[in-house]
Amino acid sequence: MERELSYWLALAHAPKVKTKTKNGIILRLFEKGNSIIDFFHSDCESWERDYHLSEAEVQIFNDAKSELSNYAFIVEDLLEQGYNIIPITSKDYPQTLKNNLGLTNAPPLIYAKGNLQILQEQSIAIVGSRAANKTSLEFTDNIAKKASKEFKVVVSGFAKGVDKKALDSALKYEGQSIIVLPQGMSTFKSGYKTYYKQIVEGNVLIVSVFHPKAPWSVQLAMARNPIIYGLASEIYVAESSDKGGTWSGVVNGLQKGRTIFVREPKSGEKNANGLLIAKGCTPVDEFGEQSIYESSESARLFVSEQKSKMKNNTNSQTSLF
Amino acid sequence: MIRQQAEIELKRIFDFNHFYDEQWETIDLLLQGKRVLLIEKTGFGKSLCFQFPATQFDGITVVFSPLIALMRDQVRGLKEKGIDARFINSEQSTEENKQTIQDAIDGKVKILYIAPERQENQEWIEATRRMKLSMIVIDEAHTISVWGHDFRPAFRRIINLVKLLPNELPVLATTATATKRVQEDIERQLSGDITTIRGELIRDNFELHVIKVTSEDEKLLWLAENLNSIEGTGIIYSGTRVNTEIYSRWLDFLNIKSTEYNAGLDSATRKDIELGLMANKWKAVISTNALGMGIDKPDIRFIIHTQIPASPIHYYQEIGRAGRDGKPTKLILFYNCSKDEKGIEEDYKLPKSFIDSGRPNIKSYDKVIDALKQEALGERQIMKATNLKQTQVRVIKADLIEQGIAKEVIYGSAKKYEYQFNAPELDTKSFDLLREQKLEELDSMVSYVNLETSRMKFLCDYLGDSSYSSNNNCDNTTLSKYPLDSKETIKSELVRFRETYFPVLEVESRYSKLINGVASSYYGVSNVGKTLHRCKYENGGDFPDYLLKLTLKAFRKRYGQELFDFIVYVPETESGDLVKNFAEKISGILGIPISHNLVKIGKTRPQKQLKNWILKKDNVSNIFNYTNPVEIAGKNILLIDDIFDSGATIQEIGSLLTKAGANRIAPLVIARTVGGDI
Repeated sequence: MERELSYWLALAHAPKVKTKTKNGIILRLFEKGNSIIDFFHSDCESWERDYHLSEAEVQIFNDAKSELSNYAFIVEDLLEQGYNIIPITSKDYPQTLKNNLGLTNAPPLIYAKGNLQILQEQSIAIVGSRAANKTSLEFTDNIAKKASKEFKVVVSGFAKGVDKKALDSALKYEGQSIIVLPQGMSTFKSGYKTYYKQIVEGNVLIVSVFHPKAPWSVQLAMARNPIIYGLASEIYVAESSDKGGTWSGVVNGLQKGRTIFVREPKSGEKNANGLLIAKGCTPVDEFGEQSIYESSESARLFVSEQKSKMKNNTNSQTSLF
Repeated sequence: MIRQQAEIELKRIFDFNHFYDEQWETIDLLLQGKRVLLIEKTGFGKSLCFQFPATQFDGITVVFSPLIALMRDQVRGLKEKGIDARFINSEQSTEENKQTIQDAIDGKVKILYIAPERQENQEWIEATRRMKLSMIVIDEAHTISVWGHDFRPAFRRIINLVKLLPNELPVLATTATATKRVQEDIERQLSGDITTIRGELIRDNFELHVIKVTSEDEKLLWLAENLNSIEGTGIIYSGTRVNTEIYSRWLDFLNIKSTEYNAGLDSATRKDIELGLMANKWKAVISTNALGMGIDKPDIRFIIHTQIPASPIHYYQEIGRAGRDGKPTKLILFYNCSKDEKGIEEDYKLPKSFIDSGRPNIKSYDKVIDALKQEALGERQIMKATNLKQTQVRVIKADLIEQGIAKEVIYGSAKKYEYQFNAPELDTKSFDLLREQKLEELDSMVSYVNLETSRMKFLCDYLGDSSYSSNNNCDNTTLSKYPLDSKETIKSELVRFRETYFPVLEVESRYSKLINGVASSYYGVSNVGKTLHRCKYENGGDFPDYLLKLTLKAFRKRYGQELFDFIVYVPETESGDLVKNFAEKISGILGIPISHNLVKIGKTRPQKQLKNWILKKDNVSNIFNYTNPVEIAGKNILLIDDIFDSGATIQEIGSLLTKAGANRIAPLVIARTVGGDI
């Protein structure tokens, strides 16, 4: 597997090629029992014929192929520094992410540092504004507490406000946490220092899907949101305005048919939580419990739905998606 | 490319007519994008096997080499042939290295030599993203095997890199010395798809001698009587830095031109010595085994070892540097076979002690692991946290990385070591296995000493080349043994030398008015150390008069007629007033006034309890005061202490007295330790 890693980076970071196309290539290799090395050492004709790549894409992969040695240097350096490189075909790749994002959006490769087992646990994402109010932060704390008690991992994005609170609370209640970076793995230096003990003890896992050297940027912060949602089995919204990262992330999640819990706003709160509930999110109270007007019947149905989803998760291990 | 075409190119670029068959075999495989391990003796022409294909490839060939001298020589040679060759190493300034990297990115470099340690450098890693790589070469490839004789942790990363390189990128690993076991280890590490080409190891022009002696003096005496009658110039290898100094001073004393070389010298000095060696400036360079690897001097006429190397492989490697021109070359090995009270031969002890001290004890490993569990630490921080010697910390950290327990991570511009989640337990079994192997190798070296048959055959067999069958060119076959009877005149010269030879204390720097001082003796080399220990720690009373006499001799030799305004001594230690009393006696004899104004203003721990220089330095930092600083201004001061170890105390007092305006501060001590042997 390690021998393939330079090839995986070449594929994952090939510019201007859709994730769906990349995953299509991987799926085809998987079905035929071939490796990614076989793909890169096939000729252009085969790329067009067997993988249905366009002329432009063939050119891009030719360039990627010529950079394989260069990627080898990067991979060696990353492994040496204790970063994990996890291709979508690896057993360490989180099934939740595959299920939630599917062929179209699941990143072909993720980078991680810390306890990889965390990726296999039940997980809760708590999302919300960088400038969240006190009530939202208390809500975040409550959800993190509940999650930690139930041995669920808290996924967050390491932004200010709700993200940071979710992380700190999860650790305060001795839970586990995934930090999804809005940047490449090797540009998060101070963060590793701050969470050194938690990483060493296996309670924090750092994850990134971007090129390891990519610095923080607004675009990456936006691109990271779907990954947070994708890594979570449950999503809780503490506070959202009617635009920005949280809003577009939630709307995107609803379109994908995810169940998303939103804190029911108190009267007079200036945020778009109510709007999200109107759009189809499930309202919850300050402790994350579904509001009383929801019948116990629907709650029961929801639970069984969740269970069958989990069952599907384990069944789908034999195929890639 | 067929051979005929290649040889036309060879003639055009390198001005050679033909390849040897094994050279072409190697080159042919590389041109096809294959991986090759090439084991050939020194002088075979291994370099051409990558230099030639490098000129045929589009992009750049990166050569990982641990040998700076070799980089320099080869780059010069290639440039003369019009090939764009460069190197990146610690000898060049940061700017020069940066420029070289930029040129490599811009496609202006064909062959780039680089030290394996550079793989830890982020700028280099970053730059490799933008280079067009055509081939990777690993020179001195035996260093990638822990079973090899000179394993280097930095090479571990090169192996990892090679494993990750795409299948079609040619890789060449070369070495002159690999046993079958090392060969297999290299093959395994560089992945299975590798072709090994192995040549014959015999060196016909070598004249191999072993001289058994029964004292260290006999070695010095033999050199005095015989060195000048050996033709040409050469190298004397000696086991320790102190010995390089002693041998070099002895040859100075005899008016035989020589100089000393060791890894402790700065790079400019080392370079000068290497150039001087090339130009036959000295009869002999006396060196630890740091010198000579990769020096392309065809006519090194002799190599003398004053101590046995760690194994026959080491020996073959070290003598391999001589006689590359094929002319008769003398290889002489001394062995002191006198036995101590336990029946152990004297010259067995040094290499044995290297094996014994090669690995710190398990407790020390645990100390480092515990510290790293708390926070990520740099090397110096580990030293502070654990009170371990720097060399020990380095061994431990390399082992922890090797075993996946810790990782070296870049924090900004600093390297720190991180404990890994789910790290395995420390595997001490592999340490034991390696130790056993090293003891076996040492015993084989002793077997070479005691051999009664052909020495070259023994070495070839040991290295896995059994093609050699003739029996000549050694003191067991066709050559006569060297006699060991020295004249009385030479013996008395040696006595005179012993009485006038005093170790230097190197403390000069531009930050203080300290000058290099002098000690009356090395701590461990004579019985001075034992005497000091008895006085200091076993209530043995004042330092005896013979130490006073010896110290005064050292003073006269070093400082002669220099004038001193007064004597300052290092105040009070746990051993009481010994130094004060000693300084008072010296003051009385030399007629230099003594000052009692240097005082300690805080508590210190005995320096000998602190195992590394960082803690020693911290321990004495701001701990002294001079009560009447006005009297110091413009004065020449003789600074007296008993033992000079890390030099931290002398440095601290030196800077205090410098601040007070001293004109010159000259240290004088009884003994200087060797590698912290106190």
